[in-house]
Amino acid sequence: MSHKRSRANFEADLQAQQSPYVLFGTPLPPLDPEVRDDGSYVPVWKQEVRDERGRKRLHGAFTGGFSAGYFNTVGSKEGWTPSTFVSSRSNRWKDGAEGQGQGQRPEDFMDDEDLAEKAESEKLQTATDFAGLGSTGTDGVRRGGLADVFRAQGETMGVKLLRRMGWKDGQGIGPKVRRGARLDVGGQSKVGGDSDGQTHLFAPENVPMIALIKKLDRKGLGFEGESKLTPISSSANKTVGGSSDEEDGSGPLIRPSAFNRKKTKPSRGGIGMGILNDTGSDDEDPYEVGPQISYNRVIGGDKKKKKALKATPVNPSLRSVPVFISKKNALAKAGTNLRKCHDGRLPLDGFVFGVRPDNFASEINSEGKYPPPKIPPGWKSAKQRNMDSANGAYTSTSDAAKSSQLDPKSRAALLGEAQLPGKSVFDFLDPAARNRLAAATGKVNLPPALGEVPEGYALTPEEKQRQLLAQVPTLDKSIAISALTRGAQGSAPYADDEAKRGRYRTYLEFSAGFGKVTLPAKAPLQSNEDWLRELREFHSCAMIFKPMTGMMASRFTTSTSKFIAGSTVSSTDVLTKPAPKPADPAEEAAKMGMYGTMTRSTTDFYPTRLLCKRFNVPPPAHLQPDADSEAATRNSASTTAAPNPYTQSGSNGTSHASGVPITLDELLQQAQGDSNAAIAVIEGEKKSTQPEIATAVPAKPEVDASVNEALEGKRAQDDVLKAIFGDSSDDEE
Amino acid sequence: MAFPDKPIAHLLGSNGPVHAVAYSASPGTYILAGSSDRSIRLYNPSPSTSVAPSSHVTKPHQTSAAPPIPQGRLIQSYSAHGYEVLSLSIAADNARFASAGGDRSVFLWDVATAQTIRRLGGNQQSHSGRINCVAFGGDDDALLVSGGLDTTVRVWDVRSGSFKPIQVLTEARDAITAVCVRGAEIVSGSVDGRVRTYDVRAGRCVTDVVGPSVTSLSMSKDGKAVLVGSLDSKIRFMDRRDGGCLKTYADPALKNEQLRVQSILGGKEQYVLAGDEMTGAPGQNGEGRLWAWDTLTGDVVAKVSVPWGPVGSEPKKKLIGKDGKEKERSNVISCVAWREDGFGDQYCVSGTSGVVTVFGYH
Repeated sequence: MSHKRSRANFEADLQAQQSPYVLFGTPLPPLDPEVRDDGSYVPVWKQEVRDERGRKRLHGAFTGGFSAGYFNTVGSKEGWTPSTFVSSRSNRWKDGAEGQGQGQRPEDFMDDEDLAEKAESEKLQTATDFAGLGSTGTDGVRRGGLADVFRAQGETMGVKLLRRMGWKDGQGIGPKVRRGARLDVGGQSKVGGDSDGQTHLFAPENVPMIALIKKLDRKGLGFEGESKLTPISSSANKTVGGSSDEEDGSGPLIRPSAFNRKKTKPSRGGIGMGILNDTGSDDEDPYEVGPQISYNRVIGGDKKKKKALKATPVNPSLRSVPVFISKKNALAKAGTNLRKCHDGRLPLDGFVFGVRPDNFASEINSEGKYPPPKIPPGWKSAKQRNMDSANGAYTSTSDAAKSSQLDPKSRAALLGEAQLPGKSVFDFLDPAARNRLAAATGKVNLPPALGEVPEGYALTPEEKQRQLLAQVPTLDKSIAISALTRGAQGSAPYADDEAKRGRYRTYLEFSAGFGKVTLPAKAPLQSNEDWLRELREFHSCAMIFKPMTGMMASRFTTSTSKFIAGSTVSSTDVLTKPAPKPADPAEEAAKMGMYGTMTRSTTDFYPTRLLCKRFNVPPPAHLQPDADSEAATRNSASTTAAPNPYTQSGSNGTSHASGVPITLDELLQQAQGDSNAAIAVIEGEKKSTQPEIATAVPAKPEVDASVNEALEGKRAQDDVLKAIFGDSSDDEE
Repeated sequence: MAFPDKPIAHLLGSNGPVHAVAYSASPGTYILAGSSDRSIRLYNPSPSTSVAPSSHVTKPHQTSAAPPIPQGRLIQSYSAHGYEVLSLSIAADNARFASAGGDRSVFLWDVATAQTIRRLGGNQQSHSGRINCVAFGGDDDALLVSGGLDTTVRVWDVRSGSFKPIQVLTEARDAITAVCVRGAEIVSGSVDGRVRTYDVRAGRCVTDVVGPSVTSLSMSKDGKAVLVGSLDSKIRFMDRRDGGCLKTYADPALKNEQLRVQSILGGKEQYVLAGDEMTGAPGQNGEGRLWAWDTLTGDVVAKVSVPWGPVGSEPKKKLIGKDGKEKERSNVISCVAWREDGFGDQYCVSGTSGVVTVFGYH
């Protein structure tokens, strides 16, 4: 091979070689891996993702990157720009209406995907108007229950066409019919018209559609239920051959099936006819089943019949011209088969009307063709029960058994049976338990309880007492005592029943274990249960009436006003003053003028460190347990700078300009009547003590921080100072 | 020396009752008066040059023909308060003073510039009610102690810029009416009838029950006793050491059961001075009354009649009482101050009239 084959040639050649027998369609790809074919296997790394237009969808970035650029998604280099976008600023809608009819459509702003979606969502179908008369699409039954409500507005195209052709609503379709006018309202009268025999041209009667009603109920076939309260016209509508000219407001497009269904729907009631269902017309047979097709049942016809036959087609000339009358028509005219189809026509050739069996039977019966055999007079059935034998009143076996006074034992005795060895449960039940059983089961015919006690289990009175006492609710001793104390304060329960309160107290004392107090005695007529119930009540009462503790006790106080049964409350006591608070003894003492230790109280006070610092004092010992030595020295310094209030310092007095100051202490002491002699003595000593003071003051820094000698050695210093300044008060006088 | 009962000067200018008067620190040349007209006035009671038209300044009481009483000079008016001023305290260096009142903050003033240096209050940690009393305290007047209607005593640090009190003393169960500081002790008087002494050094709070509501406290110089004025028309001189009552000062004609009337020690602690709320024996022509007892004996030394103001300034407005009748208007002496803490030679009183009347030995 000198020249290189083209690829197409090669492939075609290959296909022909590999699959020579394929005559139709595309042959399977060849097994040669070198051959490219769409259906052939391509490894993943060779596969390409392409869109429906064959464009590559994935680009670069390990072929996972999705390009949203120019080549794939939108059609312009600049990106997504709606090419047909027209700014409405310059080109108003008005102008657009003149030019292109429409300015901008939504489609102008859609991309391929949107357009595809739109195309997908579109479905070609005829408009509802064209659905025509016979369409089932608008059939209410088929479409659902609400179809009547949402009927297409307006007329269908078929109706419009019919109207064009001169049809009017409510009329039947077909050539006009000459007949007598029916002037009665309900259209009850049959074909026969006026007495004067005048005939007019009428439109043919409207023929309802055949309704094939789906059977949804579980009634028997053909059962229609009772007739119901319906307007006359609709009941007349049922009459297939009857007039429908004067149909009421319902339009022609109401499907008869729907119409019928509406009528059959409430027929789910029972058999029979209520007063409400009575239409008022007596001649209607309420039990009539089946279509009320009116036809003549009389062979041969009568005068009416003949009148009906007088109805002639529109064309009067038809009558005069001899026409061919088919066999069927002749039969119809002969009246042999006068039943017509629902459209008022005779059945097709070769068809006969089916007859409903019941209708038929009734027909037979009404005709009296096969009457039932007559029962001979005086015949009596051998199977008849003789009612007289049971003496009139009927009694069932159970009633009879109930009336007997015998119990199983006596019955056994009557029957001569051996006595049963065992006893009934009821023999051992006490009457109360038996009554409970009877109440629980609702059976009144339980055997009487005998309350027997088996020999081995008979209790002695002591044992009984012990058992009873075991059922007495036990009260905690502390609770009993507290409830007793509370009761002693006056707020005991049962204030209105002295006897009961006494029993309650006795119970509490018993629970508290006071001496030989026993439980409250049982009243003679009181049953054990009542006695126990009262004790249980006492128990719960004591649990409630025990004094409150803790938080609750601090929130409540006992009312001081006691209600005693039978006592009259005087009107002045209605307003009760709250009990005076226990007076503060300090205040009491202050009121009495006993100032001193009684009115003084000392508490700890915790000054902040900054406060101490600002006052230039060390923090108190309870604030700073380990006072260091620095504080101690500072303390001593501060005592010299700011003298202790209780220390009489000489420097204070000398600072004042106006003479020698008189300290208050001295004044008071003078007021107490100290003699002048003492002052004279002190005066003498004044000069000798002054140097002592001067030496005493520098000695102060040696004072220990923990021991305040200034406070403790006050008395002695007072004397010294008094000795110094005691004389100065004289010149004030 | 008899008790000085002759007014030597009138200090005018207030438009309402004066609630607090204070002498400047030693030598007590000036008088501060805090008024209910929301301002504080600084007076010089005896200026070298005459203020009033009257020419005779010296020895007014020696002239028999009722010479006009001279007026003191109004030097400065301090107005920043939004409510009445109820208490004043002057620092020892006379550079600052503190005032407090209805606006729930303590104002610290610079005397010279008449501007507030600090306003302690108006935040969560400050007084939530009217402040009745304020006092300087601590080393170098570094603290301000204030007590008020919110039953707390609050101790403020003047040196730091903190707006929070150093400590809040909440022991009182009713409003604090008086507070005084001596050394490292804070003494507070409360409406609950107790005098509480907080000893910072010892960390003790000593409560003395007085009984009736305490309205005034005045400590003796030596700190051994305190004068307690209370709302039972009595003034008690209480021993601070054991809580005993040294003396009780009262008079049947003195009534003090409703108003906060200050009582002080004066005349080198010879006298106890107290105002009168004038319900016991109404004064005439709107005059008020000042009582003075001898401290030791408890006898009434003087019953000083304090005029409403200078001659011709009697109250024109008639007062209608609660019963609808016309009430005699009288000058309730609510605040008294003695020069140099009771050791000076003059004192001043003021009250409803708003006129501070200065009495002196001259």
